Amino acid sequence: MRRAFAWIAFVGAAGLHGDARDSPLPLHAAIDDEPVPARAEDVVDYTLRARLDPKAHTLHGEGTIVWRNTSVAPVHDLWLHLYMNAFKNTSSAFLSERVGGRGSAASGDWGWIDVRKLVLRAADGAGMDLWPGAEVRRGEGRLGEAEGAISEPPRAGVPQAGRREETHQDDETDARVPLPEEVAPGATITLDVVFDEKLPAIVERTGYAGSFHMVGQWFPKVARLERSGRWAHFPFHHLSEFYADFGSYDVTLDVPERFVLGATGAAIESTVENGRRIERHVQRGVHDFAWTAWDEFVTLKDTIDGVHVTLLHPPGFGRIAQRELEALRFALPYFSARYGPYPYDVLTVVHPPDDAEEAGGMEYPTLITSEGPWWEPAGVREPEVVTIHELGHQWFYGLVATDEHAWPLLDEGLNQFAEVDAMAKWLGPGSLVDMVGLKVGDAEVQAVGGNASVHDEPVAQAADAFSSGANYGRLVYSRTASVLETVARVYGEEATLHALGVYARRYRFAHPVPDDLLRVFHETMGPRVAETLRAAFFDEGWVDYAVDGVWTQEAERAAGVFDRGGARETVDAGASEQGGWDSSVLVRRRGTLSFPVDVELTFADGSTHRERWDAEEGWRRLTWHGPSALVSAVVDPDGRLLVDSNPSNNFGAPPGAGRTPSVRPTAAPRTLERATYWMQLALQAVSP
Amino acid sequence: MTGPAASDEPVDDEWADAPFTAGRAADARARLLLRPKSARRARMHPFAILGLWAWQTALSLGVAIPAAALVARVYGMHPRADAPLWDAGGLALMDFLWRDARALSPVAATAEITLVVGAVGGLLPAAAVMMAMGRVPRHRTAATLSQALSAALWAMPAFSFLLVVFALVQGATLAMGYGVTQLVESTTTGLGAVRAERLSIASGVVFLLLASGLGVVHDLARAAVVCARARGARAIVLGARAFGAAPLPLWWSWAWRGLAAAVPVLAVAFFTGTVGGRGGATLALVAMLHQAVILARVSLHASWLARALRAIDGWPA
Repeated sequence: MRRAFAWIAFVGAAGLHGDARDSPLPLHAAIDDEPVPARAEDVVDYTLRARLDPKAHTLHGEGTIVWRNTSVAPVHDLWLHLYMNAFKNTSSAFLSERVGGRGSAASGDWGWIDVRKLVLRAADGAGMDLWPGAEVRRGEGRLGEAEGAISEPPRAGVPQAGRREETHQDDETDARVPLPEEVAPGATITLDVVFDEKLPAIVERTGYAGSFHMVGQWFPKVARLERSGRWAHFPFHHLSEFYADFGSYDVTLDVPERFVLGATGAAIESTVENGRRIERHVQRGVHDFAWTAWDEFVTLKDTIDGVHVTLLHPPGFGRIAQRELEALRFALPYFSARYGPYPYDVLTVVHPPDDAEEAGGMEYPTLITSEGPWWEPAGVREPEVVTIHELGHQWFYGLVATDEHAWPLLDEGLNQFAEVDAMAKWLGPGSLVDMVGLKVGDAEVQAVGGNASVHDEPVAQAADAFSSGANYGRLVYSRTASVLETVARVYGEEATLHALGVYARRYRFAHPVPDDLLRVFHETMGPRVAETLRAAFFDEGWVDYAVDGVWTQEAERAAGVFDRGGARETVDAGASEQGGWDSSVLVRRRGTLSFPVDVELTFADGSTHRERWDAEEGWRRLTWHGPSALVSAVVDPDGRLLVDSNPSNNFGAPPGAGRTPSVRPTAAPRTLERATYWMQLALQAVSP
Repeated sequence: MTGPAASDEPVDDEWADAPFTAGRAADARARLLLRPKSARRARMHPFAILGLWAWQTALSLGVAIPAAALVARVYGMHPRADAPLWDAGGLALMDFLWRDARALSPVAATAEITLVVGAVGGLLPAAAVMMAMGRVPRHRTAATLSQALSAALWAMPAFSFLLVVFALVQGATLAMGYGVTQLVESTTTGLGAVRAERLSIASGVVFLLLASGLGVVHDLARAAVVCARARGARAIVLGARAFGAAPLPLWWSWAWRGLAAAVPVLAVAFFTGTVGGRGGATLALVAMLHQAVILARVSLHASWLARALRAIDGWPA
């Protein structure tokens, strides 16, 4: 899902974040050596048919679900996610969790799903409707006991602090269906399902606005069963996204003829019957299916990197749509090269109309939604950054397919870094805003946001454990991205992207957990980087580098009483016969993270000297003897440490006491000049 | 529109007995005569333009100096001084604004007060410039600063009255325009969101044009104060009558200067964006360019005011 487009990667032109020469690591094997799994394991296959009534905003669905127990344990019940019920009433987990963030505005119309039948097919062809025995409300039966269950038990050292206590007794988004008999490991069951649904007025990802319909989380969806036999089921929490098993989707959509459809997967059949448009979309190797229908869509088609791209946009948005296509032309091949080839034949981009903005900035398999008003100036990169962000999800949410509820950082966080990297590669320093001389970088915005909440709570926690939507955004998105960007700038951009590329390839279709990510970084970049990431993600890791003192004075000879050659000699203080200046700098690293860093010394004759400090200890005194007085010291002079909590204490000058030459603070001439000019312009705007 | 016969000589109108000359009326050199229309030109009054620039610069420095001092307190010991704040990407600047938001709030408050002072107090230098362009002492080529200011002080009640009246009327026009845009958008959604928005914007533009026309009348009314000693409603009537005589040429005279004033701002912005936080000669060049932009804008504004003065006759019709 999109990150807030802050109304605002610093990539220097020359290999910016340091290059391989800076890296202490050995050169890596080519990324192509990391095998990419050819296809996902089919766990659950859906064959569905959905008929939309665009006036009543309802749909009728029916079809078949074939589910296989791929765990090591027998299964006695089935968990179904009925996420459209998140919008049924204010007692749902989604609407009752008042944490702010996206989707907080009241919907103008309720939405819900009613399952009519869920018939388990027997071997002899007979059927048994399981739905009468289903437990839908959380207050019922075993649902209450299951509250709080997430995909994996808490890991050692992984705090589950802050999880809310609400039990959501009346939530109807997470249903347990008792099975008449256990399903053995490897066994398959077939279910015939019939359901009716009312879409809400557009609210976070789904719903209608006029005749525009964005239909996500719309069918009864089997939760993922972990290999251990534990169901990764959870209600639709306000800050949470999704998690499911891979499978094949064969979905036939039935809408009025004048409607244009966009959906997950390729349309393999399209007919018009009795005034209805009927399209059949089929896609293997995905874990969700979403679609959209609108009678005003304008369609653009292109082929990018061998992928058939369909872009659906409102009338009048042609210029924005072209910008989104341009973003895809860069990002599709770029992400494929970085994180493994995009394995699907199609990609659909939906730009919702202005009054359905809540549907914008969302990812589904082979379908993403972008956003931005039709009049957006070219220098404000909202359509580009949202398109690239949602496209990046195809690799992390879509292909790696982590549990977005339990570990949002593995999707939104890593994808945010992928976005920052791609935007910088494509657009340079003004990757978010580049207009009238103002250049604002995506990485820089993430850095400021990430530092703002670093002491509040960990990055690596379940979505519903975050205290607020603001912290969820700052930590999951911004902090993760700025930590990884810092690693890239310090240890080498190629090494970092290589590590993430190995992770994305190795765990494609594999539902990894944070330990897997850390293992890959340990393997490819070494233990220090892995430990840094662990501390940053799990332990609220932070760091503040500072220049804590700068001294310089003319070199002095040794003075005092000396016993030399049997005689006692007193030497008075005075200038050293060799001349020159003795200087020292005290640099500190506060906090729990550490990165090797440069310290730049500037001397009175204008010369500079850099020293590398590995910063594994908390402080170091750097001493220097040279022909000139030291006038200033700067730690991290290239601004590589985006996670530095306080960059404004990264420099210092001699205090000017005793025999130390005084260095007077300079004025701020650029600030004076620009502030004067801007104020003059403002005055001219209001002057009579 | 009738007026004095075309002549290069200043017109000895009734202004000579204006109250602001009290105490000095006996001194013929203090009497300000109406310039002939052809002589009401901004380019003939570089010092008036410089004076207006100096007024805006002085006010701006009142905000910029404390802001720069605040930055210097944090970045004064950096070897690049405040250059990191202006590096591309904006990390240091965003961090500074976020971290020092509380310390910056007095600066922000000062800026707000300065804008109010500029909006209201700016009447006096504007009036002085108009007086300098419209009036001249007998046997002199230009009024002195004190003469222009004295005349401007005399005109302040009328200028203030006009400011209040036109602020209310223009405000009401814009408010009405906003209401109409909302109405248009909500009633045309059937045409599609973008068309509805564009129609809404188009309807808003109509009201913006109306408001800009009112602004032109405002300036013409002020010109009537200068040229015809008109006050209150009479100045408005004279301004409106002058506008009515040639609405499009007058509006375009105002509009093209306004559009032209935006060009150097954008051009220099692109240049400063490329040089980032460089200091030394580059910073000096940027400063010179910025001040050239400000001076050009002041000149264009003065040029428009001179045009307004030329549109007004010396005598009420």
